Amino acid sequence: MSSEEEIFNELKGVFGEKLIDHKVQKRRVYIRVFNDAYKDVIRYLVNNKGIYHLETITATELKDGIEIMAHLGMDTSISIRTTISKEEPKIPSICDIIVGAEFYEREIHDLLGVTFEGHPNPIRFVLPDDWPEGVHPLKKSFETKHNAPLREGVE
Amino acid sequence: MGIVNWCRKKSPWVTHFCTGSCNACDIEILACLTPRYDIERFGVVLKGSARHSDILLVTGPVTRQVRDRLIRVYEQMPEPKYVVAVGTCATSSGVYRNSYNVYPGVDSVIPVSAYISGCPVKPENILNGLSFLLKKIGENK
Amino acid sequence: MSTFDIPIGPQHPALPEPLLLKLEVEGETVVGVDFDVSYMHRGIEKLLETKTYFQGLPLVERICGICNAAHGVCYTLNVEKLYDKEIPLRAQYLRLIIEELSRIHSHLLWLGVAAFEIGFNTMFMYTWRDREHVMDMLESITGNRITTEYSQIGGVRRDISQELAGKLLKTMDIVEERTKYYIKVALTERTIAKRTQGIGYLSTADAKSTCSVGPIVRSSGVKFDVRASDPYTAHDEVPFNVITSDSCDVFGRVVVRAQELLECVNMIRYAIKHLPQGPFRIKLPWKPNAGEALTRVEAPRGELLHYTLSDGNLKPYRYKVRTPTLANLGALRAMLTSKGRYVVNIGDVPITYGSIDPCICCTARVHFIDVTKGRSWIWTLDEIRERSKRGRLLR
Repeated sequence: MSSEEEIFNELKGVFGEKLIDHKVQKRRVYIRVFNDAYKDVIRYLVNNKGIYHLETITATELKDGIEIMAHLGMDTSISIRTTISKEEPKIPSICDIIVGAEFYEREIHDLLGVTFEGHPNPIRFVLPDDWPEGVHPLKKSFETKHNAPLREGVE
Repeated sequence: MGIVNWCRKKSPWVTHFCTGSCNACDIEILACLTPRYDIERFGVVLKGSARHSDILLVTGPVTRQVRDRLIRVYEQMPEPKYVVAVGTCATSSGVYRNSYNVYPGVDSVIPVSAYISGCPVKPENILNGLSFLLKKIGENK
Repeated sequence: MSTFDIPIGPQHPALPEPLLLKLEVEGETVVGVDFDVSYMHRGIEKLLETKTYFQGLPLVERICGICNAAHGVCYTLNVEKLYDKEIPLRAQYLRLIIEELSRIHSHLLWLGVAAFEIGFNTMFMYTWRDREHVMDMLESITGNRITTEYSQIGGVRRDISQELAGKLLKTMDIVEERTKYYIKVALTERTIAKRTQGIGYLSTADAKSTCSVGPIVRSSGVKFDVRASDPYTAHDEVPFNVITSDSCDVFGRVVVRAQELLECVNMIRYAIKHLPQGPFRIKLPWKPNAGEALTRVEAPRGELLHYTLSDGNLKPYRYKVRTPTLANLGALRAMLTSKGRYVVNIGDVPITYGSIDPCICCTARVHFIDVTKGRSWIWTLDEIRERSKRGRLLR
């Protein structure tokens, strides 16, 4: 059994039904979990397995919701993913477990409008000061007009 | 050609401003200062403040956040002033065209006197472009 | 404590990228810091969704002009994972050679800029003059000095001839000799030691908790290098040492980067000696398979990550890039915050900021907020440098 499968089996032993499915590649493990287990699984990996390095947090808008994926690990990359609803895009922040998550969560908040509950400093990070509120560029509904660059007064 | 103009042509002071570029054009401008290309033999001095310079070198596609700063820097320069758009991004926003956060080139924000294309611009091209501009200044255009 | 904004716009002669640093100060010591990176936001992830995978390569290389080889290699490796084909080993070795050459040019550039920050202009000129040898080799092999687009989806763009390989080995001899001289200068020159030792301190615990990457984390004693922990291209066959230092300060970062230069030289020599025969590129179809891929690469500044989600079309559904400097911002904040006996002076800000090798540098306007007097003002890094030389930092 490869070390990637071993990692998944250990998590399955601890969290059981909270893990929905998984995928294993060379030095990559992708595990889908329910929303309420997202923070617990990450806390387990940090406290019990000693994995302190958070590579990044990716957010993708899918048809049925927004997928949040936290990538952890130094050699094998363990990606814990969960899907939240588009109408109420909220998920607990992991900044209290991993300090370095702050800037990744701020970026996702700007670009996709996801609220991270418990984030210490949820202010604007990548978008300019005069960018309108509630407009999130990375959403599929936001379309850049072809050959129509930014002009004064026109959004 | 008056003496003031002759001085301006022989020793132009230059300020560099980056408006959100990938940095490649900026390090090529900086490479012009180094011994291989040596822009100082033309009397060009790179100054930190716009208030002391004749020529403003702008790189990068102008992002939305940086636009006001660029206009303010342009207004701080004393007359007569010249702006050089260095690189394809400054000329026409280059690879970032159609992005939601960039303007279509520096000339949509401030008037430009010279364009130097390249992605990134080679230092020889920067020297070439600057010497064309200095020739234009000398002819009082 | 109330504060207000007084924006001024300054230039920084060495290396650019607008970034706003908001510092909270008490007298001359810095007690808090925040960042504003919106000046650099160009909407690249959204743009990548509008271009095909093959069109996306020029855009990805221009995310950062200095680490462009790392971005190119990471992108091509990432997209190739969506196909089910084996990439020729010769192409992987050639990619490694260009990646290490790019690391040499980036570290020499940084040594020059760091020397400039502490007022050592001669070393700036020396390192950039030596860097020109490396730029010449990059131009001979790939056709361009920077943004080479040498790594393509399926392999590399051109092959390397025997004659060019010979010239590359001669250039490596020059780089090695000059690097040994710089290491000697860094270790024996007292001004460098005085200006860099004890400055920009980042403890090992802070380095781990802020998830920092690259020479920053290696100079705080943590042995983390993606080339060793998650090997890509030919890094599992080409031997090298992971350089670490226990000094946790700017001096440690100077030494780590200078010694990494020597490792790069050895890797290039090994790669040329053991370059396998075979094709340098294979042709891949326009549309990759549906799926996802995650690739990590050791850029000169640290761990670089690309993630893509493909639905089997020509254009990616989602493309995510996480640059190493974003990961190091947390570490920068820890370095710039005074804590207990560790005191950060305003005069140390430029060199500390420079030591993380930011790929978001300058036109850096530093926004000060005096928490005791309730005032705020903005200085440029230039002004801080000049004032600290004249001993006039208190306002």
